[in-house]
Amino acid sequence: MAGNGKAENTTCFDPRTLLLLLILVNIVVILQNSFYVELTLLVLLMGLFLYCRLFGSGLKFVLVFGFLLTLQHYIFPAAPQIFADFFSILTAFLRRVFPILMIGKLIVKTTPMRHFVLAMRKWRLPEKLVIPLSVTIRYFPAIREEIKHIRDAMKLRRITGAAKFEAYIVPLIFSAANTADELSAAAVTRGIENPAPKTSVIELCFRFRDYICIVCGLVFALIAFWLR
Amino acid sequence: MSTMQATASRELRGKDLITIGIFSAIYLVINLIFHVMGGIHPIMWLMMPGLIAVFASVPYLLMASKVQKPFAVLIMGLITGLIYFATGMFTVVILITYAAASVLAETVRFITKYKSFIGNAASFVFYSLGIIGSFLPLWLFKDSFFAQISQHGVSAEYLSVLSKLVTDGMLMVIILVTMVLAIVGTLIARALFGKHFIKAGIV
Repeated sequence: MAGNGKAENTTCFDPRTLLLLLILVNIVVILQNSFYVELTLLVLLMGLFLYCRLFGSGLKFVLVFGFLLTLQHYIFPAAPQIFADFFSILTAFLRRVFPILMIGKLIVKTTPMRHFVLAMRKWRLPEKLVIPLSVTIRYFPAIREEIKHIRDAMKLRRITGAAKFEAYIVPLIFSAANTADELSAAAVTRGIENPAPKTSVIELCFRFRDYICIVCGLVFALIAFWLR
Repeated sequence: MSTMQATASRELRGKDLITIGIFSAIYLVINLIFHVMGGIHPIMWLMMPGLIAVFASVPYLLMASKVQKPFAVLIMGLITGLIYFATGMFTVVILITYAAASVLAETVRFITKYKSFIGNAASFVFYSLGIIGSFLPLWLFKDSFFAQISQHGVSAEYLSVLSKLVTDGMLMVIILVTMVLAIVGTLIARALFGKHFIKAGIV
């Protein structure tokens, strides 16, 4: 029963759980004003990191958050005024969105794109949004590759200023247009325009831990709202 | 190719959807480059929508001239908002502003019948406003935000300069500057279209 088809092996949580948590974390971050709520949220998220065995990135987040706190409490008061002025806005903003960064990282690290496509289909998001969205996300690495090639080619010639923008954007657009043609030919051949519902090798299912997670998230959001 | 487009209905097909997806990716990459620059200083951050409007006009207008159908811009706006929202750097506010901006842009395109470059350029001017959701939380949560940073060793003068920046008037100025720079962006795109893209036959 526990064949390869189940999402079991690759992910910790159902992608829908993670997306719900992302929304809840966003709401809490907007609402909260107390340090204790912030800290509890971070501890809960860290629990998720440990559960998903993301020790490395979990540790990184702890260090960065510690660094932000040190910066705000010890370094800014002692540092030259101009330094404090310059960086404190950035630090404060970063601290505010920190939980969102964490859950975002968790999602990216644990869940492959096709699971999200499936989750979006299960939520009956229109196919007209799901297809371009997944193409967009898949195309980012291709752009990075492309930019690397363009930069290599540019090294041979001295290009400066506004010409540089042109030299980047024009080949980028050309290759994007070509890719769009080729990809759509391939996708149409494989039945992307078929109106029948798509089938999938992977099956998504809510498990016990997903329910626990959602309930915890909801309760926490309510408490944060009530404490406000 | 042209006969196919002439007979095709107004409905978005597979090819259109993929085109939207790919050009959204380029639009987003240009956005992110300027977002990183915006992290350097708050003033840069407030300038960012205008800068993005100058440079991101090319992928937007290319998409708009390749997909001359309803809802293309709306889908692009939703993708941009969703990805910003999901990558965690931004709040749900940006999702809302992008949805609003792309509905405006979509309306402009509906009125100008999707085909003309000028119409698409006008829709881009509105679409560029979506990015304002990136720092709109500064305006929305002004009090708590300033209370938080004032505890951490920011000088009173600097704080007063900043709170003078975060006003309704300033927001209007940013919106206006963004719209003007968006027009500049469409002019640049126009020049690139004439110099490269039309000749190569990709629009």
